[in-house]
Amino acid sequence: LTRDEGKYDGWRTFVWNSEKKEFLGRTGISWLKIFLFYVIFYGCLAGIFIGTIQALLLTLSNYKPTYQDRVAPPGLSHTPRSLKSEISFSLSDPGSYMKYTETVENFLAKYDELRQADQMKFEDCGDSPMSYTDRGSLDSDQGQRKACRFHRSLLAGCSGESDPHYGFKDGKPCIIVKLNRVVNFRPKAPANNQTLPDPLQTRSQPNLIPIFCKNKRDEDVDKIGEIKYFGLGEGFPLQYYPYYGKLLQPQYLQPLVAIQFTNLTRDQELRIECKAYGANIGYSEKDRYQGRFDVKFTITS
Amino acid sequence: MFEMDGEMDKKKKKKKKINKKEKMEGMKKEMDIVSKRQTPQGFRGLTSAFAAQVLERDGPNELKPPKGTPEYVKFARQLAGGLQCLMWVAACICFIAFGIELARGNVTCFDNLYLAITLIAVVVVTGCFGYYQEFKSTNIIASFKNLVPQQAIVIRDGQKNQINAHQLVVGDLVEIKGGDGIPADIRIITSQACKVDNSSLTGESEPQTRTPECTHENPLETRNIAFFSTTCMEGTVTTGMIINTGDRTIIGRIATLASGVGNEKTPIAIEIEHFVDIIAGLAIFFGFTFFVVAMFIGYAFLEAMIFFMAIVVAYVPEGLLATVTVCLSLTAKRLARKNCVVKNLEAVETLGSTSVICSDKTGTLTQNRMTVAHLWFDNHIHAADTTEDQSGKSFDQSSETWRSLARVASLCNRATFRPDQEGVPIPKRLVVGDASETALLKFTELTVGNIVDYRERFKKAVELPFNSTNKFQVSIHELDDPLDLRYLLVMKGAPERILERCSTILIKGQELPLDEQWSEAFQTAYMDLGGLGERVLGFCHLHLNEKEYPRGCPFDPDEMNFPTSGLCFAGLISMIDPPRATVPDAVMKCRTAGIRVVMVTGDHPITARAIAANVGIITEGSETVEDIAQRKRIPVEQVNKRDARACVISGGQLKDMSSDELDEALRSHPEMVFARTSPQQKLIIVESCQRLGSIVAVTGDGVNDSPALKKADIGVAMGIAGSDAAKNAADMILLDDNFASIVTGVEQGRLIFDNLKKSIAYTLTKNIPELTPYLIYITVSVPLPLGCITILFIELATDIYPSVSLAYEKAESDIMNLKPRNPRQHRLVNEALAVYSYFQIGAIQSYAGFTDYFAAMAQEGWFPLLCVGLRPQWEDVHLQDLQDSYGQEWTFSQRLYQQYTCYTVFFVSIEICQISDVLIRKTRRLSVFQQGFFRNRVLVSAIVFQLLLGNLLCYCPGMPNIFNFMPIRVQWWFVPVPYGILIFVYDEIRKLGVRRFPGSWWDQELYY
Repeated sequence: LTRDEGKYDGWRTFVWNSEKKEFLGRTGISWLKIFLFYVIFYGCLAGIFIGTIQALLLTLSNYKPTYQDRVAPPGLSHTPRSLKSEISFSLSDPGSYMKYTETVENFLAKYDELRQADQMKFEDCGDSPMSYTDRGSLDSDQGQRKACRFHRSLLAGCSGESDPHYGFKDGKPCIIVKLNRVVNFRPKAPANNQTLPDPLQTRSQPNLIPIFCKNKRDEDVDKIGEIKYFGLGEGFPLQYYPYYGKLLQPQYLQPLVAIQFTNLTRDQELRIECKAYGANIGYSEKDRYQGRFDVKFTITS
Repeated sequence: MFEMDGEMDKKKKKKKKINKKEKMEGMKKEMDIVSKRQTPQGFRGLTSAFAAQVLERDGPNELKPPKGTPEYVKFARQLAGGLQCLMWVAACICFIAFGIELARGNVTCFDNLYLAITLIAVVVVTGCFGYYQEFKSTNIIASFKNLVPQQAIVIRDGQKNQINAHQLVVGDLVEIKGGDGIPADIRIITSQACKVDNSSLTGESEPQTRTPECTHENPLETRNIAFFSTTCMEGTVTTGMIINTGDRTIIGRIATLASGVGNEKTPIAIEIEHFVDIIAGLAIFFGFTFFVVAMFIGYAFLEAMIFFMAIVVAYVPEGLLATVTVCLSLTAKRLARKNCVVKNLEAVETLGSTSVICSDKTGTLTQNRMTVAHLWFDNHIHAADTTEDQSGKSFDQSSETWRSLARVASLCNRATFRPDQEGVPIPKRLVVGDASETALLKFTELTVGNIVDYRERFKKAVELPFNSTNKFQVSIHELDDPLDLRYLLVMKGAPERILERCSTILIKGQELPLDEQWSEAFQTAYMDLGGLGERVLGFCHLHLNEKEYPRGCPFDPDEMNFPTSGLCFAGLISMIDPPRATVPDAVMKCRTAGIRVVMVTGDHPITARAIAANVGIITEGSETVEDIAQRKRIPVEQVNKRDARACVISGGQLKDMSSDELDEALRSHPEMVFARTSPQQKLIIVESCQRLGSIVAVTGDGVNDSPALKKADIGVAMGIAGSDAAKNAADMILLDDNFASIVTGVEQGRLIFDNLKKSIAYTLTKNIPELTPYLIYITVSVPLPLGCITILFIELATDIYPSVSLAYEKAESDIMNLKPRNPRQHRLVNEALAVYSYFQIGAIQSYAGFTDYFAAMAQEGWFPLLCVGLRPQWEDVHLQDLQDSYGQEWTFSQRLYQQYTCYTVFFVSIEICQISDVLIRKTRRLSVFQQGFFRNRVLVSAIVFQLLLGNLLCYCPGMPNIFNFMPIRVQWWFVPVPYGILIFVYDEIRKLGVRRFPGSWWDQELYY
């Protein structure tokens, strides 16, 4: 007990020693000195730090990333995003799919024709898949670059123009798919048809990254029904590439593909995997969104 | 303290009671037997059947090993140190945090669980390490135990039998002769010139006579009791009755007394506790600060709580426990190579902080072997060679007198060498005979040569052995010259008695009449030698008249029909148990190292003082109060006690002193000798030293030392001479019984203290660069720069070897010339060390890490300003298209691997800075250039190892998904290099300032 008291007393004198006028073991002058020392010390360190970071930033280009090994090959992302890793809704409850249609609507707003009217910023790049559009080197010499127009009307039934519910109301949901942007990345069309799934082999086009969805699980093969693809050539046409980056092409619109699942079996969890096919589009075991994605549908009536 | 004393008193009283009672019992039984006896040969002893009964009642006659702590308790103790407790608490917090996360449905975050498991694993593994060390040294001790069971000759059923000593029971009659160990506490019934060596019990080196008469109340003082574990030095067939066996023997009681003394905490354990206090304080301070900050920023309470826990845990230096354990065991190993076995790892350092060594005399400071030290003949005192290996200088042996003296010494001696010892050096040979005869035998063997042969030449006609009434020994020999038919009478004994019987004295070969002048010269020499604490014997001879005593003359020793006066005095020979050769030097070294050496012995004050003066415990020119009184010719009471540097206190005086007086004596006299002390008094002396704030080492070998050994901060037992009880009580064992090994221990202890400081400073530094990423992550919401698994790799893989390598660092200065550290002021981890490591070097390392982190992020497309506040989106598992500074879109996994890249980059930065850190930690005051970069080879290899391991972690395939290490670009290894150089340069400046301006503000704030 005495020892505890001693300890407590020791603490108290440590916090404030009235005899020596010490607070936490130091006098005011001592605190001031040590405070000054640390101000100078950390000041110098911060100076060095900021200097190094500035020097680092000077070595970086504003237009071309130094390395892209982490971001390429690109991911394949879709809207609406699956929340809690699935898209589930009930036909009888409009509220259950409102959030999906809203995100699609918001996403497609960028693709409104009105927004692409500015001739200085946009140009037409043809109605069929064509080769890459070269807009010069990746630096500021030529100023901002134009971008290809991509009208949402290309998505036909999934454009939202005819059906504001994007098929959700009828149990035929649309999802909008895009290939993630990577600066100066030129996706290549599949080198040979052999690697493609059968349905794609017949309709392969030279300047197109096709996309194809199928059941993930074998037992679902008869349950997912027909899948429709909308967009320019039902894939990602190459004339939209390469992307020149945020500074040179702030208005850039990447090509989209809308996928509509017209006959999904109701009241069942269905897993569908969609893959983009290209010579330089890779897949990774660990990254389920690189060049492909899988989505889970549960539609209740 | 008072309670302790009270307890001791009670014990003492109790002991006395038991003593008396048992003695009575013993006596009663004896009476029965004695009344039945007819002649000494008529002892019939106990019947075997009765002995078996008693054996069943009392148990075997052996010392029960002190109730060994159960193994699991020993192991559990290894898991309950200061640091260990910190880790346990941290592990618990981790489990709680993991539980909270799990309850919130965050299934993906297993970091906390891993962390908890690792923490527990570290504690358990290091615990096993410490346990193994203890186990190993216990085995070393065990191996010293006598494998051959002691035998004893017992009389039962009227027959002599040889049986194992542990079969003996109270009441048994045993027979002992010279050279035997005493098998139990026995009461002597018949004896003939029996002498026992009680040194292991009382510390007296002089053999004690044992006779059937009871001479004293106190069983320890009386002459008719011989004690278990002592040895009978000489005497033919002594019979005794066993009065106590096993743990009830005196020695058993002392051993029990030792087990009652609590163990003191080692200084290093205290230091580590102090350090844990600092760490825990800082951890809670930081955790709480950021808890408040997090709440302020707007995190939910639960989230802030998790942050709080994470910060507290991040503050735990996981690697430190391993580092400390390994450093200590390295030193333990180094010490073991120098014959110091350490039982408890923490004791390694204790010797380094020791400020007082209480040393036993016999066997530790001295050789425990009577040796001829001085001779007086031709009116000169000659010094003999007392070194163990006979490397010392000998005296002039050309004088005729010497030849006569040597002849007397050789012939008037009953001791003989045991057979078959040709190969053994003379001083080490075993001898049958008492201590002084042994000494003379060895001495003459060394100086004269083959004594067996020599004695052959002078045939012995008659002999009268030494007895206490005559106080001399005489024998008559034929001369070796066959033509000379005279007999030679040789005599030795107490000098004054010898002189009385002499009428002439031999000077330079001439027989001169022994007049007043020579008598005075003799007196002076006798006093001088006696004052040296030596045992003096006088020698004289006489050539008997041929006609009076012709050949074949029947000499009768009982009638003494030969002249015993009018002899010719040859000289004096004095003997002492001489100090070991290495001891004076070692004591000197202790003194320069600021360590007081106090002698505590059971021996006589004069002998103790002489040896103390001899080995330097009492330095030349130091005087005791008595000396001053004598010099100034004033009464002792008038002497100012402060003038006397030295002081000899005997057990009797000590008994009358209060503890305050003892403290005062210890404080005012730097050179202390305690003589004639009992085991309890040794304990009191140790306690007094500890009261004065000293860290006390006690050396000893006897059972009587074991309570003091236990009480001491570090008990040092002797490996060869030491009793098991002493070894059990000690923390350290000197395998070669050499006091000088203690100096090595002190040196190593001090070195390890300094080096541990460096290791800890090194280990602590990286705590800050491990913590700041998390703090920035919380407050600025950047993607997490450093992950938990990566931190564990730094703490437990890459940085262990370098931190251990600092244990191999040479001392910066001559540590043996410094005073022992003041345990209240020189802490292992002081505020300056923590502050300098944490807030200066650690801060620079953090900046290095962040620079590299931002470089790696920016070069992959995430500019620093974008990173700020990015965390919620960055960590959103469902967000697959997060835009970077160039407008590129990243999937979650891509971001995750980028995050791993950042972990790796931060890891590499810490590694690079830690290389610089380990270099600066080589010294605390000197410049690294003075210390030498490559002199510590282990450290160099540690750096190479660290780099290789870092590379392996980064570039080994498969690492990203197992341990979150990514192969990083080469340039990211070099980003932190300027910071590493900065650390080095800054520390060199710091050291320069510390060296140039000692005592300045800079020195005070920045020297740790």
